[in-house]
Amino acid sequence: MHLEQFSYDNKIVRNFGIATIIWGIVGMSIGLLVALQLIFPELNFMTQYTTFGRVRPVHTNAVIFAFVGNAIFMGAYYSLQRVLKTRMFSDVLSKIHFWGWQLIIVASAITLLLGYTTSHEYAEMEWPIDVAITIIWVVFGVNMFGTIIKRRERHMYVAVWFYIATFVTVAVLHIVNSIQLPVSFWKSFYVYSGVQDALVQWWYGHNAVAFFLTTPFLGMMYYYLPKMANRPVYSYKLSILHFWSLIFIYIWAGPHHLLYSSMPSWVQSLGVVFSVMLIAPSWGGMINGLMTLRGAWDKVRVEPVLKFMVVALTCYGMATFEGPMLSLKQVNAIAHFTDWIVAHVHIGALGWNGFMTFAILYWLLPRIYKTELYSKKLANYPLLDWYTRDFVLCHPNVLGCSGSGVDVERVYSGRCVEISKLLVYYFGNHSYAYDESTWR
Amino acid sequence: MNEMINGTEAVAEVSQWKIGAVNLYSDILIVTLIVVMITLLIAAVMVNKAMKSILKVTMPEVVKQEAEEKKRKAEARKAGWKALWNKIMGIRPIEQEKDLITDHDYDGIKELDNPVPIWFNALFYGTICFGFIYLLVYHVFGIGMNQDQEYEHEMAMAEKARQEYLAQAANLVDENTVEFNEALAASGKAIFTANCAACHGANGEGGIGPNLTDRYWLHGGEIKDIFKTVKYGVPDKGMVPWEQTLTPAQIAEVSSYIITLRDTNPANAKAAQGEEVEKYESEKVEE
Ligand code: HEC
Ligand code: HEM
Ligand code: HEM
Repeated sequence: MHLEQFSYDNKIVRNFGIATIIWGIVGMSIGLLVALQLIFPELNFMTQYTTFGRVRPVHTNAVIFAFVGNAIFMGAYYSLQRVLKTRMFSDVLSKIHFWGWQLIIVASAITLLLGYTTSHEYAEMEWPIDVAITIIWVVFGVNMFGTIIKRRERHMYVAVWFYIATFVTVAVLHIVNSIQLPVSFWKSFYVYSGVQDALVQWWYGHNAVAFFLTTPFLGMMYYYLPKMANRPVYSYKLSILHFWSLIFIYIWAGPHHLLYSSMPSWVQSLGVVFSVMLIAPSWGGMINGLMTLRGAWDKVRVEPVLKFMVVALTCYGMATFEGPMLSLKQVNAIAHFTDWIVAHVHIGALGWNGFMTFAILYWLLPRIYKTELYSKKLANYPLLDWYTRDFVLCHPNVLGCSGSGVDVERVYSGRCVEISKLLVYYFGNHSYAYDESTWR
Repeated sequence: MNEMINGTEAVAEVSQWKIGAVNLYSDILIVTLIVVMITLLIAAVMVNKAMKSILKVTMPEVVKQEAEEKKRKAEARKAGWKALWNKIMGIRPIEQEKDLITDHDYDGIKELDNPVPIWFNALFYGTICFGFIYLLVYHVFGIGMNQDQEYEHEMAMAEKARQEYLAQAANLVDENTVEFNEALAASGKAIFTANCAACHGANGEGGIGPNLTDRYWLHGGEIKDIFKTVKYGVPDKGMVPWEQTLTPAQIAEVSSYIITLRDTNPANAKAAQGEEVEKYESEKVEE
C-alpha cells in the first residue's frame, strides 16, 4: 500500500481569521458610530467625510464583505481541505485571494468616504473596484474548483455543494448588477434605468442575503456543527431537499424589497409568494442543525461554541420567519420605512452570521494555534447578555415603536450601543487567547 | 341628540337582564333548578362510590382485572400518540441511530438517513398552496386589491369622508354665521319652488306672504335676517318656522337664493310691506 503525505494549509485560514477579527472590530465600531450619530448629530463632525450618509455604507460593506466575507473564506478554506482530503489547489492563488480581498476592502472604505458611490445598496463601489472584485472572486473560484478536482474523497459533502452555490451565484449576481458604462475613473452609469434598474438591484440585493449571508453559512454549519458536537448530521435527505429548494426559490424573492413601487403588481405578488415559500427551505437548514444536536444538549449547556451555534441557528430561524411575514404587502406597508427592517437585518446578519462567526473563531483558533480558549466564562458573557438584552428588551421595543415615529431611532440605536459594548468584551477575550493582544 | 336617546334605550335594555327585573317566578325557578341539579350530582357520585366499595368487597378479582385493563389501554394509547408524534417530527429512538448511519464519512462527519419530518413537508406544501391561492386571489379572482386598486379605494374612501364632513360642516351654520354664497342659490331655488312658492309666488313676487324681490322688508333683508325669519318663522302672521323641516344647510341655500332675487321686478309684484332698505351691507362695502 502506498501512503501519500500531504498537509493542510492552515496559514491561510489563520490569516483570514485575523482579518475577520480586525474587520469585525472596525465594522462594528463604525456601526456604533452610525448608531450614535442618530442620537447625537454632532458626531457627524461637520466634515463631509464623516457624515451619516458616507459612514453608513462603510458600516454595511465593512460588516458584510470584510467581516462576514473574511469569515466565509476562513471557514471555507479550513473545511474544504478537510472534507475533500487535500491541500488547497494553489497556495499562490490563496495568497492572491487573501491580499486582493483586503486591498479591495481598504479601497472601498476610502472611496466610499471620499464620496465615490454608485448609490446601489450593497454594491456602492465604483467600477474599478467592481472589476477587482470580479477578478479576486474568480481566483477564489479557480482555487476552489481546483481543490475539488484533485480531491481524495469520492463524494462531495453537503458543505461543498453550498460553497459551490455561493461561488456560482455571487459571480452571476455581481457581474449582472455591475454592468456600468464608465465615464471617468471614478464615475460610471448603470446600463439599466428606472424600474429595470430597481429590479436588477434588488434581485442582486436579496440574493446577496441568500448567497453571501446564507448559503456559505449553511455550508459552514454542516461542517462545524457536527464537528463541535461530535454528532452525525441528522438527515441526509433533508439536506438535499432544503439545498435545492432554497437555491431555487431564493432567486425569485427579490421583488419583496420593492413592494408598493412602480414595479408591476404581478411581479410584486410573485415576490411575495416566493418569499412565503422560503420558510420551509430555510427552516430545513435550521432543524437539520438543531436536530444534529439531539443527544448532545448536555454539551450545549457547557460549551460556549455550541451555545453560539444554537443562538445563530435560532436567529436564522427567526429572521427567515420574520422575512416572509415582512414580505406580505399588508405588513410591509407598515414596516417598510421603519427600524423594524433594520432589526430584521441585524437578527439575520448579527445573530446568524455574527454569532456563527464567533463560534467558528472560538473553535478554530485554538486548534490552529494549538492552545486553549483564554476563558470560557468570558466567552459565555456576551452570549447570555446579548440574548437577554436583545430578545427581552430590544426587539419588542423596536417592533413596538416602529409605527410610532419619533423615538424609534433612539430606541434602536440604544440597542446597538448595547450590542457594541458586548462585542468589546467578546473581542477582548479573543485577543487574550491568542496573544494577538495588540488591539486589546 | 338622537344618539343620546338611543344610548339611554340601550342602557335600559341591558339593565333588564339583572336578577329580579323580569319576573320573580322565573328567578325562583332558575335557582331551584340549580339546587336540584347540584343535589342530584352529589347523590350520583355518592351512589357510584358506594357501588364501588360494595363491588370491592364482594368481587375483588373483577375490580382488579378492570383496573389492569384500564392501565394497559392507557399505556397503549400513550405509545400510539408518541409514535404518531415521532412520525410527524421525524424522530426515531436514539438507540436505533446506528441502523440509520449512512456509509458517508467526511473528515469524521457521519450522516444519518432520517426521513424528512412530516411537519416539514406539510409546512412546505402548505406554503406552496398559499402561494397559488394568493396569486389566484389577487390576479385571477380579483378579490384582493393590487396597489392601483388600493389607491383608488383609499381615495374614494377619503372623498366620501370629505363629503360627509362638508355636509356636516354645512349644517353647522346658523343665523350668526351664515354668509351669502351664490353657488348655493341653484339648489336654493329648488327648495324655494317646492316649499315657498305657494305663498311667496313662483318668482318671489308675493302672494299670501310678502314680496321677496323688493327693497322693503318686515324682518330685515340681509342674509342673516332672512335665515332667521325662515328658521324660526313668524307663526302669528302665517310664516311657517322651517327649523323642523329643512336642515340648516338647506335654509342657508334658500336664503342665498332669496338674496339673488333682489331687484328682479317680476310681473304681478305684490305691494311693498315693511321698511325700505336703502343700502344693503354689500352695497355699502362697494362704496
Ligand atoms: C303658508 C304660507 C307661507 C309659506 C309656505 C312660506 N311663507 Fe314666508 N311668509 C309668509 C307670510 C304670511 C309672511 C309675512 C309674515 C309677517 O307678516 O311677519 C312671510 C314672510 C317671509 C319672509 C320675511 C319677509 C319680510 O318682508 O321680512 C321671508 C324671508 C320668507 N317668508 C321666506 C319664506 C321661505 C324661504 C319659505 C319657504 C321655505 C317661505 N317663506 C314659505 C307665508 C309663507
Ligand atoms: C455592533 C454591532 C452593530 C451595530 C452597532 C450596528 C449598527 C447599525 C446601524 C446604526 C445601522 C443604520 C440603521 C439606520 O439607518 O437606521 C446599521 C445598518 C446595517 N447594518 Fe449594522 N450594526 C452592527 C452589526 C452589523 C453586522 C454584524 C452586520 C452584518 C453582518 C450588519 C449589517 C447591517 C446592514 C446590512 C445594515 C443596513 C440595513 C438596511 O439598509 O436596512 N450590522 N447597523
Ligand atoms: C426567508 C428569508 C427572508 C425573507 C423572505 C426576507 C424578507 C425581507 C423583507 C421583506 C425585507 C424588507 C424589505 C423592505 O421593506 O425594505 C428584508 C430586508 C432585509 N433582509 Fe431579509 N428576509 C429573509 C431572510 C434574511 C436573512 C437570513 C438575512 C440576513 C442574514 C436578511 C437580511 C436582510 C437585509 C440586509 C435587509 C435590508 C435590505 C435593505 O437594505 O433595505 N434577510 N428581508
